[in-house]
This record gives sequence, structure tokens and C-alpha cells, in this order.
Amino acid sequence: MTNQRYFEDINAGDALPTVARTVDPVQMFLFSAATHNSHRIHYDRKWAIEVEGHRDIVVQGPLQSALVAQALTDWAGPQGRLVRIAMQNRAAAYPGDELRFVGTVVSKREEEGQALVEIEIREEKASGEIVIPGNATVALPKRNSES
Amino acid sequence: MSHAGTPETYADVIGYSEEITATIEKKDFQRWAAAVGDLNRLYFDQDFARANGHPDVVMPPMYLSYAVAGFPLLHELRRDGTRRDRVAYGPLPERVKLPERLMAGGEERWFYAAVHAGDVISSRRTISNIEQKTGRSGPFFLVTWLGEDRNLQGVLVCKSISAMIAR
Repeated sequence: MTNQRYFEDINAGDALPTVARTVDPVQMFLFSAATHNSHRIHYDRKWAIEVEGHRDIVVQGPLQSALVAQALTDWAGPQGRLVRIAMQNRAAAYPGDELRFVGTVVSKREEEGQALVEIEIREEKASGEIVIPGNATVALPKRNSES
Repeated sequence: MSHAGTPETYADVIGYSEEITATIEKKDFQRWAAAVGDLNRLYFDQDFARANGHPDVVMPPMYLSYAVAGFPLLHELRRDGTRRDRVAYGPLPERVKLPERLMAGGEERWFYAAVHAGDVISSRRTISNIEQKTGRSGPFFLVTWLGEDRNLQGVLVCKSISAMIAR
């Protein structure tokens, strides 16, 4: 986890550190176990390929959503807060794919006592194919409000 | 689409709703976070969470839907391993008769307050729309749910729109 991020230090156009993650079948197994997910496309390769037309078992959409959110909360730091997140599942991801989480600050504003940052974030493969486009709002602390 | 139902069937379930109440269990959300590989100290270290203004360890925000999703019984499972009458996003009465290939479609969530271990959350999931669309891979159905999650005091802690693709 990174250090604390402060509202004053953020500017539109800032890039979030790109995070690269590669999900393997063991992690997929653990995630399915933790979520009681028994959908065959996530563990039965023959089913995923022959019945559902995938090229391999499919990385769970909610696992990818969790990784997108992690890129944001790690960036924000412990006193930051994820306020809103929107994501669209546009393509399937498979075990072994390098998944990159790429974010950019779009704008920032203060609203109803909160210091808010708007971020565009996407999950993409090493090929550049966008798997999940998304955007989010993160609340950050202000330096002058520290106790 | 031999498995598709009629527009009347879909219209019949728009507004179909379920509410589930659950206690947020630390061990469950920590197991989820470990599987994600998200070892945020707010989720695991009570002292760290308290030093950052929380009464206890914090539930990872994206975990919330699992806290209230329950788990399938063996006889409830379809051939593909998914659950009859309910998917991860909310209720889905089997009479809807959608195509069998199911995938996540997308979601938007608004988080209004942190949720902590021991909190009791009541979650309502309502089918808001079922529509047939056409994408790059051909026709598909998009099912959308609205979600509202409230704590014991009735305060809204999360609102969500979730979508699933059936093709």
C-alpha cells in the first residue's frame, strides 16, 4: 500500500502509477471459493472452450473489478475513500494475460465538504486491448485539515 | 435464441426485488481481499484502521455484494454451475428463460459510508431492466439490477447499478 495522497498535490492530467497484474488459475480458484462462485467458465476449461466458446477459463469479472478498485484505493492512501466507481466489462480476460490498470486524473473539485478527484481508469491487456473502461470519484484528505 | 423468453416474461419481472440482511464478517472479507491480492492494512490491521479514523477493520468496498449474496445449494445449480433464481448481482427468477452463456456486463457503485466488521447490512436488489441488444459478437440480453445497501440505522451506505450479459 502506498503513502497518503493529498488533494492539494493532485492536478488534472496526473497519471496514476500503472499497476500490472497477471491472474493465474490458483488465484481464480481462491476468488471463486471466497465468493461461492461455481460457474464452470471459471474452472472447467473444456466447458469454457467447447460449450461457451472461450479460448480458456475466464477470469471472473468481479475479480477484475476488485483489481480496478484496488488500483484506486492503493493510490488514494488510507485516508482516501472510493466514493464512486463505474466499469464496463468489454472483453474477456484469461489466466496468464498481463492486465494493466491505467489511470489519469481528469479533474478535481470541492463539494459539500469533500475534496473529490475524478479519475478515468481502464484495465487493458499488454496488447492494448481495453478489457474494462471505467471512471471513478475518490475523496482525498486536505493537508490543512489534518489534526 | 431457443432459450429466450418472451417480452411479456421479461416485463413481468421488471421490479422483482429481494432483500437480504447479513452481518459483515471480518474473516469472510479478509479471505476475499487475500484472494484479490489486496492486503490493504485498513482491511486487516485494527490498530491501523483506528489510527485512520475507523472503529474497526474496514470492509473492502467491492466486497459488499458478496456479504449479502449468500451461497448456492447443490440442487439449485444449473448445468453450467450458476445458481437458479439468483446470480451474483441479484435475483433472477428462472421463468425469465435467458440464454445460458452469462458474463459480467458492468457496474456503477456509489459508496456513501465505510462499512466495518460487525455491521449489519440490509441489501435490496431489484431487476430494473431486461433488454435485447446487438453487439460485436451478435445479439445478447442485458439484465440490470438496482441495489441499495443500508445499515441498521437505515442509512444508505451503498447504491449500485449492475449489469449481466446473457448470450
